Amino acid sequence: MSALKRAWRRLLSLFNGHNLDRDFDEEANSHIDLAIEDYVQHGMPLSEATRLAHLRFGSIAASKDTHRDSRGLPWLEGFSFDLKHALRGLRRDRSFTLSAITMLALAIGLNVTVFTIMDAMLFRGFPLVQRNDRLVYLQERYPSGVCCISYADFEDWRTQAQSFEGLSYVGSASISVNAAGSRSIDTTAFHVSTNVFGLLGVPPLIGRDFTPADEASGAAPVVILNYRFWERQLGKRADIVGSAVHINGVPTTVIGVMPERFDFPTRQDIWMPVVHSSEVQQRGLTRRGFIAVGRLRDGVRPEEARAEIEAINRRLESDHPATNRGLVPTVVRYEQLSSGPDARVIWGSLWVGAWFVLLIACANVANLSLVRTIGRWREFSTRIALGAGQARMMRQVFVESLTLASIAGGIAWWVTTWSLHRWETVTESRFQVLDYAVDSRTLAYLLAISAAAALCSLAPIGRILQLGAGGALKGDARGVTHTLRTRHLSAGLVAGQMALAIVLLSGAGVLMRSFLEIVSAETGVRDPENVLAGSIRLPSDRYGYPSARTQYFDRLAEQLRTIPGIEATSLSSHLPIYGTNALTFEVEGRPGPPDRSEAVQFFTVDSGYFRVIGAPLIAGRDFSADDRASTQRVAIVNDSFAAKYWPGETPIGKRLRSINRNEPGDWRTVVGVAPDIMQGDAIRQTFKPLVYVPFRQQPLQVAFFLARVSVPMDSVAQEVRTRIEAIDGVVSLESLQTLKDSAAFDRDYMDPEHSELGKHATVAPVFAVIALLLSAIGLSAVVAHSVSQRTKEIGVRMAIGAASRDVRRMVFREGMVPVAVGAIAGLAAALAVNRVLQSQLVGVSPYDPLTMTSAPAILFAVALLACQIPTRRATRIDPVLALRQD
Amino acid sequence: MTDTKLDLLQGTLDIMVLQTLDVLGPQHGYGIARRIEQLSGNEILLNQGTIYASLVRLQQRGWIAAKWGVSESNRKAKFYSITKAGKSRIKKDRTQWERVAAVMARVLSLGTQP
Repeated sequence: MSALKRAWRRLLSLFNGHNLDRDFDEEANSHIDLAIEDYVQHGMPLSEATRLAHLRFGSIAASKDTHRDSRGLPWLEGFSFDLKHALRGLRRDRSFTLSAITMLALAIGLNVTVFTIMDAMLFRGFPLVQRNDRLVYLQERYPSGVCCISYADFEDWRTQAQSFEGLSYVGSASISVNAAGSRSIDTTAFHVSTNVFGLLGVPPLIGRDFTPADEASGAAPVVILNYRFWERQLGKRADIVGSAVHINGVPTTVIGVMPERFDFPTRQDIWMPVVHSSEVQQRGLTRRGFIAVGRLRDGVRPEEARAEIEAINRRLESDHPATNRGLVPTVVRYEQLSSGPDARVIWGSLWVGAWFVLLIACANVANLSLVRTIGRWREFSTRIALGAGQARMMRQVFVESLTLASIAGGIAWWVTTWSLHRWETVTESRFQVLDYAVDSRTLAYLLAISAAAALCSLAPIGRILQLGAGGALKGDARGVTHTLRTRHLSAGLVAGQMALAIVLLSGAGVLMRSFLEIVSAETGVRDPENVLAGSIRLPSDRYGYPSARTQYFDRLAEQLRTIPGIEATSLSSHLPIYGTNALTFEVEGRPGPPDRSEAVQFFTVDSGYFRVIGAPLIAGRDFSADDRASTQRVAIVNDSFAAKYWPGETPIGKRLRSINRNEPGDWRTVVGVAPDIMQGDAIRQTFKPLVYVPFRQQPLQVAFFLARVSVPMDSVAQEVRTRIEAIDGVVSLESLQTLKDSAAFDRDYMDPEHSELGKHATVAPVFAVIALLLSAIGLSAVVAHSVSQRTKEIGVRMAIGAASRDVRRMVFREGMVPVAVGAIAGLAAALAVNRVLQSQLVGVSPYDPLTMTSAPAILFAVALLACQIPTRRATRIDPVLALRQD
Repeated sequence: MTDTKLDLLQGTLDIMVLQTLDVLGPQHGYGIARRIEQLSGNEILLNQGTIYASLVRLQQRGWIAAKWGVSESNRKAKFYSITKAGKSRIKKDRTQWERVAAVMARVLSLGTQP
């Protein structure tokens, strides 16, 4: 008899299990009948014979189990039996099942979401790119903060540096595209080294990649399109490759379209080969340079590459001191580029936060299943008494946990995809390209933590062991079960949950306060909700000349002023709060050459600007319509500038000039002093020295109009839109909103350290609230269970005269002691954890006293509420009924 | 009472069942159990339910066959009979067992001889 045949029979019996069980029952009954008959024949009375026959046969249940185990594949068969049993049991305890699944699904979903976001932020890099981990990103920066890269320097890196397999340059330029023939679109194009897509390892979806010949001077202009642009602007025309689009009026051949989801290095529409114009070739930073990407040779670490680039730059500094002095290169990995220098710490800590929530949920489920097992004490002890083995019981608990965790995991998967999608839409940014795709790694992670979560509902196994040792059905099941140990275990779990909740609450608290500190900072603008602003973009082909632009803006002002409710209008290059690149500058009469490390921002504003934003000049005069291109160059400085560069003197009549890329501008005479207005400090904490120059002396192509409005905003905004369309249909109007709205948090304008603060300040409170709710549920369940266990005791107390106040106090004490212990431990932990967040915080200490006191206060309030329901039940216990129980 | 009874060695029950069926012909479960108890001079007191695990094991190995039938007293019962494979098996088991028993007897008598 081969082992194979035997296995086959066993497998067959698995599918025939039900019949075989019945067969066995029949056989056992016939056995007992035969035995009784036998004993009776030997002269035993029938009752005695029956008793003896059963005694001699032993437990039918036990022999059925061994019978089943010997004939089939015991493990598998037991499993399917246990699964059926588990499902039946879970369906019966509906409230337990629902709450356990909800808690686990939420916590697992949250955890996987955070994991995926963290993975995207730190490790995945740009979508579709091969071996992201070997890429580094290079830029240069003057001490004043001006950046980003000089093509001439890049060429030196490329020829001299040994650390890289390849280096590609990316510059950016505003262009006007006319693709469909109707209307030009102003957008930004990347001017790239032609090897860039090869270096990234992403070939075009259709068409061909750039070749070095495309970069040579005199080559026919070509362009590769972003998929999004092809889809939205060109309706995915199949014949796009080979057709021509007009870029700044020049016919340019489309040679390819990149694959869907591919963006590099930010979300823009068009890639073109870098043009080796004299402007691009010159030393020093230009406005065009954006970034370079390098692929490291095998075995080269990013630090080594940085050291090499730094060495090259030091040589350049001594060779070209005029342009390269103080120019410092940066070599960073993807995560520092996209999420700032502390990305690892920050996302790591959020991930830990998500684990805290998961631990709380697990502790709850452990507690609930413990409570449930105790409720099923009689079922378990009866089954053990009837001969079912301890192993069998444990297996059942195990299968139940597994079932719970699988259902929760399935729902969590759905939660994850949903919340990731929400997250992606809410946090979409032009300057950040992240790959949030849900992939096999995400799935593997979800499976792993679901399995880990299944462990938490195994808590009752310990109790079953105890039951086996203690013997079944001995004494009052109630007395056996509610031991001191169980109670300590439950209280410990509650305290742990409370501690975790405090840590999350206080972390969320300081993050939120930092966020509020930024969005509610003093900006110098009066009633920003009454100032309407919008960005006007004049297409370069129609408005190439300054005179045409001035003409347009004059007509615009004329039209806007006739709208009822608009009191005053003006123009500016930037809105308050936001900043521009600082320029180096020279103050007349200061000894020595201009200091390169000093730079200020120059803003272009039209007359009436300070009136519209409600910040009247401190001294001197405003710009006027007479400050034209042909008249004397003038400027207005702000209070901080005057105080810093002409302390104790009157600034009016003094002269200064900007130095843009080594080209000094015209001398400008200061005609006025403006109050400080928040501008160019991402975290809105300090007023910087600023210079304003008149709009009419350099009319811009892209500018904001501002209008102070005295009637409801909606009607005015609609009218403004209509008028602008009427003046010239090709002019685009964007982001029409009040200054109050535009001052909302915008990650794209934050410095790297704080750009993610908005996300953290949104995510952390969600964690904290979920954690708080889960802990409250846990506490409530534990206290409720304890009350139901002690019904008799409470009845006795009330019978001998305890008032309901005393009972309430007793129950509250039982609930609140672990809360207090947990709160203290949590506060201590929070002090340590918050230090990690330090770099993110703005205007608030990580040990912020307000947060550190309100977190426990909120916790206690919620805990008291959670104890309320079971306490009320305790005080309503009727002593007579309670004593009669059992 | 149980102290004085013999505990069955693992696997010995299977041999006893086979031998019983070989010698006495087809039997039902109760009959096999009773016969083993009698033959042992009531030295072995079975938990009679355990005999069925042994019967199913032997069946799966193909050494015995089972069929529902009627007892002498007209009761429905399942009758087990030894198969050809079972017969050759018990022959092997018998010689094997005798050898083991002889060795055990020699080993255990070592210390007691003068």
